[in-house]
Amino acid sequence: MHFSKHVLCALSALAFTGFVARAQKVGFTEYDLPNGLHVILHDDHHAPVVAVSVMYHVGSKNEEAGRTGFAHFFEHLLFEGTDNIKRGQFFKIVSANGGQNNANTTQDRTFYYEVFPSNQLATGLWLESERMMHPVINEIGVKTQDEVVKEERRQSFDNRPYGNVINDIAAALFTKHPYHNGVIGEMKDIDAAKLDEFKAFFKQYYAPNNSVLTIAGDFDVAKTKELIAAYFGAVPRGAAVVYHKVEEPPITKEMVDTAYDANIQIPAILAAYRVPGRDSRDSKVMQMISSILSGGPSARMNKKMVDEKKDALQVFAFNYALEDYGMYIIGALPSGGAKPANLLSDMDEEIVKLQTDLISPEDYQKLQNQMEDNFVNANTRMLGIAESLSNGYTFYHKDTNHINEELTEIRSITREEIRDAAKKYLNTHQRLVLYYLPKAKASN
Amino acid sequence: MKKYLMIAALALIAQYTRAQITIDRTKQPNPGPAPVLKINDPITYKLSNGITVLVVEDHRLPKVSASLLIDAGPVTEGSKAGVLSLMGNMLNEGTRTMPKAAFDDAVDRIGATVNLNSSGGSVSALTRYFKTAFGLMGQALKEPAFTQESFDKLKTQELTGLKSQEKSAKAIAARVDNALVYGKTHPDGEFETEESVQNLTLQDVKDAYAKYITPSRSYLTIIGDIKPLDAKQLATEVFGSWKGAALALPTLPEVQNPGKTEIDVVDVPNAVQSEISVINLVDLKKNNPDYFPVLLANYILGGGAESYLFMDLREKHGFTYGAYSSVGSGRFQSTFGASASVRTPKTDSAVREFLGQIDRIRTERVSDEALANAKALYDGSFALGLEDPARTATFASTILINNLPADFYKTYLQRINAVTAEDIMRVAQKYFNYDNTRIIVVGNASKMLDGLRSIGYPVKMYDKYANPVGQGGN
Repeated sequence: MHFSKHVLCALSALAFTGFVARAQKVGFTEYDLPNGLHVILHDDHHAPVVAVSVMYHVGSKNEEAGRTGFAHFFEHLLFEGTDNIKRGQFFKIVSANGGQNNANTTQDRTFYYEVFPSNQLATGLWLESERMMHPVINEIGVKTQDEVVKEERRQSFDNRPYGNVINDIAAALFTKHPYHNGVIGEMKDIDAAKLDEFKAFFKQYYAPNNSVLTIAGDFDVAKTKELIAAYFGAVPRGAAVVYHKVEEPPITKEMVDTAYDANIQIPAILAAYRVPGRDSRDSKVMQMISSILSGGPSARMNKKMVDEKKDALQVFAFNYALEDYGMYIIGALPSGGAKPANLLSDMDEEIVKLQTDLISPEDYQKLQNQMEDNFVNANTRMLGIAESLSNGYTFYHKDTNHINEELTEIRSITREEIRDAAKKYLNTHQRLVLYYLPKAKASN
Repeated sequence: MKKYLMIAALALIAQYTRAQITIDRTKQPNPGPAPVLKINDPITYKLSNGITVLVVEDHRLPKVSASLLIDAGPVTEGSKAGVLSLMGNMLNEGTRTMPKAAFDDAVDRIGATVNLNSSGGSVSALTRYFKTAFGLMGQALKEPAFTQESFDKLKTQELTGLKSQEKSAKAIAARVDNALVYGKTHPDGEFETEESVQNLTLQDVKDAYAKYITPSRSYLTIIGDIKPLDAKQLATEVFGSWKGAALALPTLPEVQNPGKTEIDVVDVPNAVQSEISVINLVDLKKNNPDYFPVLLANYILGGGAESYLFMDLREKHGFTYGAYSSVGSGRFQSTFGASASVRTPKTDSAVREFLGQIDRIRTERVSDEALANAKALYDGSFALGLEDPARTATFASTILINNLPADFYKTYLQRINAVTAEDIMRVAQKYFNYDNTRIIVVGNASKMLDGLRSIGYPVKMYDKYANPVGQGGN
């Protein structure tokens, strides 16, 4: 059995050296309208599908103190209707024309989209331009969405197993930065807000010059440019958005906390570290470290904790990368009656190894293959490509082409950089340890 | 200098003026001509051991994926409930020549993904590594290690998982719904318990493997950056000489719906919401002419956010975050069900609304607008689905497995669009039961049982393993 393993290593090593990266380039054209709207077009005629998307560079980190949850609430509000689209018609128009639509809000941006059969492109442009130009923001809409968002909070956070993990971690890792609050926020803040504040939020952040319109799929580029000019050209430019990143002081002492969740029966143990934002090289290095620790059944944590010691049901390590900072999170769920504290020491051992020894050339090569496979799989759907292109422009210094450069950057990261990043960011005195435990559910 | 700038600026304006086309933003724009949907049939081969190979060539991305489906049909596990899932997991635990660690390493090393389960498995890899990855999948399937150590580990994990679901009203409802509708001895009604999993042995896993992992009735789909002949050659190399037991589809006894509508209640005192299902058995083969009207009728009743159930239970009454219905189809009996998680105090009100909306679609002619919108949604979803190259392979294997005419998916939209309002009412009466259905409620009985009794149907109590517990409790 050892023989076959060695043969296989030798074979894949051979395959790797002989390999020249086959660029899988995502083509696009981009330009600005006079009102500052950035437009990105990616045409692909394989299937009769078109994705229309708008990314507004506003998220929960733009919220004012005492107004948490505002950005996400606003996303809901912008489905209420416009000067030309009656209340409650937005979703109906999309489905009645064979499309799908939705939106989501993160700490950093708000993303709206429709995916239509390609003959409905103009409807997508109409809907998004209406939303950007003159949405109806009134008391009825605020009241309706208030109820819906409360239900969403129950469904997605309060009643979902492990639903509050990320919020708990963010609250501990960020003391000054608005990432502290999470995206969903406190409902009392929405309840306290006046209608004028919602209108002001729209004026401040939903201007064409703070957004990117990306269209991907089966369309004619020249005709679409004309349609875009017609639908979006009339939207007035807004004042430039001014944002100052709040610098967090370094974490110098380990924080240990316990949280209880009535929706779980199996505890979780987590360790979380603050890392640099998504446009940094180190953010990519942390992504690679995730792959070494938990990317696949042979990854270090999986192998040791799930297969050899058998004390973990599941393990995970991931970089929750955001614009200003990231949260690096590792964790495990115990199997049988294993103690969470023992799992933590297992995870710590693996981190110390990363900090002490360079990963082997074989592991490095495996990492490169996994990263390439992830990349290829990430760009299969039109909507995914639209979002990746918008991300490049919004988060990588207006570099829309980031989608095509990311893999090259990852390939250039060395084994030494991996060790050094582990040494720099993954120290016990820089982290939160969170025991996330079952709580008896109160009946009501 | 200044002059040049002016010219440039004018040119810019001119360009935009010229580009300006007239639009009327008070109205939704007219759609362009409907796109022509191309469905390219996969290339199909048959291997001598019974495996059907389907190949969809798509060179847009440098990757290939494959999946194997062994069509054993519904399997009755009986006292060994849980053995199939455990056997499937055991196939991911290494092979006779490669212990798990070596196998995992071989897969991860090339950035591939290999997953096996009790009815086959799947593999995906970059083009240049596909051959290696596919070989590994074949090895895992044909020569599993089946060690006691892996078995013990997976059994512990399975038991931990079961324990984690013990108090979940949702998990209990999922189990009890099927157990009551199909009966606990039916393959779709049986379920695993701590006891049945505790009693499983490695030999049980080996026996299940010998019976159900076989080339007989198997479909191998290969999709992506590969030539059909190369795919065929690779399939033959890895699976051509594979032998196994012959499979025959089981014949299942027909299960009856209750003669009269009843309410079945499971008490879960810790629940904060009631899980409600209104559920009956249907016999709907895909080649039944009712198939297309039933799809649309279900959408109009409870398929989306504009459907009757959602508009009534969520939008009008606010009982729930969402209320939906779904209907199965295929070679064997399946179910129609309407369900929601509702606030406990509104349980009986929600049940009345469910019944009211089912009655509505059975007795009230659907509006032309609702029918047209449902058709548009199916038209659109069908087009959007074609973005996925795997879709045409799924079409082909569905046609083979269900013995459908070759043009089933080519005429799909034509037949959707031919459905009338009269068809909707007719099939609603036939498939969405009202007088002879089951209303299953899982929740805190002390807070909602009186309300349910006041509806007027017989109320029966069950425990969380679907055993009857007396006549209505209290």
